Amino acid sequence: MKTTDIIRRAARSLANAKARTILTSLAIGVGAFTITVSLAAGQGAREYANNLINSNVNPQSLFVVADESIVGGGGLQSSIRVYDPDTTTTQGITVKQMTQEDIDMLADRDDLTNVMPIYQPSVQFMTFGDSTTRFVADVSTYNASIISGVAYGNVPPQGEAIAADEVVIPESYVQTLIDNKVIKNGSELVGKKVVMTAVQATASPTPEQIQAAFATGGETAVQSLLQPKTQTFSFKVRAVSAKSAEALTSTMSVQIAPDAARAISEFTTQGTPQYQKYFGATAIVKDGIDPVTVKESLAKDNLYAQTAQDLQGVVFTVVNTLQGIVLGFGVIALIASVFGIINTQYISVLERTREIGLMKALGMRGKSVSRLFQFEAAWIGFLGGIIGAGIAIVVGLLANPWITEMLGLSKGTSLLIFQPIPIAIMIIALIIIAMLAGWFPARKAAKLDPIEALRTE
Amino acid sequence: MIEVKNVTKTYGKKHSTFKALDDVSFSIPEGASVAIVGKSGSGKSTLMHAMSGLDRPESGEVIIDGTNILKLKSKAVDRFRSEKIGFIFQAFFVQANETCYDNVALPLEIARVSGTARKAQIVDALNIVELGDKVRQKARNLSGGQKQRLAIARAIVNKPSIIFADEPTGNLDSTTGEKVEDLLFGLNKQNGSTLIIVTHDADLASKCDMQIYVKDGKIDRIEGEQAAPVEEPEEVVVEKGPQDSREDSRHLKGVSRIGGDKESEEEE
Repeated sequence: MKTTDIIRRAARSLANAKARTILTSLAIGVGAFTITVSLAAGQGAREYANNLINSNVNPQSLFVVADESIVGGGGLQSSIRVYDPDTTTTQGITVKQMTQEDIDMLADRDDLTNVMPIYQPSVQFMTFGDSTTRFVADVSTYNASIISGVAYGNVPPQGEAIAADEVVIPESYVQTLIDNKVIKNGSELVGKKVVMTAVQATASPTPEQIQAAFATGGETAVQSLLQPKTQTFSFKVRAVSAKSAEALTSTMSVQIAPDAARAISEFTTQGTPQYQKYFGATAIVKDGIDPVTVKESLAKDNLYAQTAQDLQGVVFTVVNTLQGIVLGFGVIALIASVFGIINTQYISVLERTREIGLMKALGMRGKSVSRLFQFEAAWIGFLGGIIGAGIAIVVGLLANPWITEMLGLSKGTSLLIFQPIPIAIMIIALIIIAMLAGWFPARKAAKLDPIEALRTE
Repeated sequence: MIEVKNVTKTYGKKHSTFKALDDVSFSIPEGASVAIVGKSGSGKSTLMHAMSGLDRPESGEVIIDGTNILKLKSKAVDRFRSEKIGFIFQAFFVQANETCYDNVALPLEIARVSGTARKAQIVDALNIVELGDKVRQKARNLSGGQKQRLAIARAIVNKPSIIFADEPTGNLDSTTGEKVEDLLFGLNKQNGSTLIIVTHDADLASKCDMQIYVKDGKIDRIEGEQAAPVEEPEEVVVEKGPQDSREDSRHLKGVSRIGGDKESEEEE
């Protein structure tokens, strides 16, 4: 018997038992629904993360550290280690820092540009304009590779830094500044003078230094040697940054130019072991060079880099794990429905003993009979897949705007993205699974003795 | 030409064996109408199953057109059934959910007849059984007589050389039964296909050219054109001549009354 004829007969006998067919298909549909939604959510999350990273991170950018554990993904170590003057301990985690030599070496490489260590400028307080109110806030280096939204003023295009005397203030400061009567509205902030006061760490002068100071300036010179030094740095506000859904990091600190950041951090760490030590550095790999090869060559110098792709990988790992969990529930639902198919098809074989007997008496091969029942199961799998995927797509498309609103994503972002190919693959997989489930009943049908089946009692 | 030689079929195992067929031998000329007559449990159904290749007796030969079908592999037997045999059952066994067309299509599908040739054959067969106007009707909407005529259409659509009818009128009242009988005998005469009817109805049996009476798994007696089983194959070849002429005479008569036909054969 021709396969097309078998498929048609299979479809007809399912159509003749509509209620049973639909109910069995629905069981598979539940699994198909779950799987479709998890595929769509995973895809949506990955695309969202991808958008974030691509619009915020230069794909050629590298983040370089001296401590492998930061980017190695093996978790930060907190176990006991040999003391190293190049390490720093923050929040109980000891991290090996980069030295100025490391930075110089990076800068000397001809496959890297824009090598910039991560400065940790800290100021004691800052004042705005003519106001005498002193404010405390974090200061960080302006990251030219990340574009943040702008509420007032403007920022240079991606890849260009702000000038050494400019700062970018986060929008979240505006309310505090208004409350303290520094400004009346946010736009007033643009162009305002900002003065930061940095304090040098108290130096511990050697006895020789004290003697020398005493010899030259007497007691006052010694006192001034032990007095913490302060220095002021003046800036003007270039822009007020806005929080945006597309921004990867919504920085809550005052951003200053790299040169200014270096000046402040070198001033504050002068004379301490932290002087010219860095948590890490950022660099841009020159166009046409694969960041991965640079990463590999850096590893030989005991410097460890994270590429934009690695960052994507980290985000994707999280997304994939969550997706896998949902997918797992879908698979469990499918397993349950497989038994539904086996049961339905078994009953169908029993009900249709006569029909099977007749077909065999008329010369139909056992193989063809078996295929007839397997194709019926295949139809059930196909229908279940269509029903499940169809409902998932309709629900997903209706829910997308709502989800976007609930999560505060920017307009037009869809967190459920339905792709035809994975759904088609899923339906094909369902058909195959259904056929496997139909194998036992089909074999029973194929082995039926036509004489027994046609006995009329 | 169907030859059955020393066929024995035993049911059961070891101590509780039961011989459904015990050394049965006879032969049926091509184009004849034959009744296998016997009581329930006499072995007549087993005999039909053996002759149609549905069952495999453990010993003996069933030679149809020169081939011993008991020696064929199961695939070849299935093919033999799909190409050469038509079945008609007491309980019709038409698929109630399917249309008349799809019911009749089944043997053609099994025999892998191409779609274009199929349609004409199906419509032809339905016209012959006077169901040409019910092509797209579901079989469940047919009356008993119509269902059996549908079953006949299904049996003849493939132009088989042998048609087995197992109590074809058993589930029908006498009027519709008679119509079905006329149809069966008419087809037997017109198409020259061999008709083998399994029945316990003496009236129906008497309308056949030949009656094989089965009792307790043995041939009780054979009446009609061929009283004794053929022993020598040579004789069979000799008989071919008169058989052909008889077929010609049958053709001329068309669907004539069975009694007259029988008489003319007895004259030979």
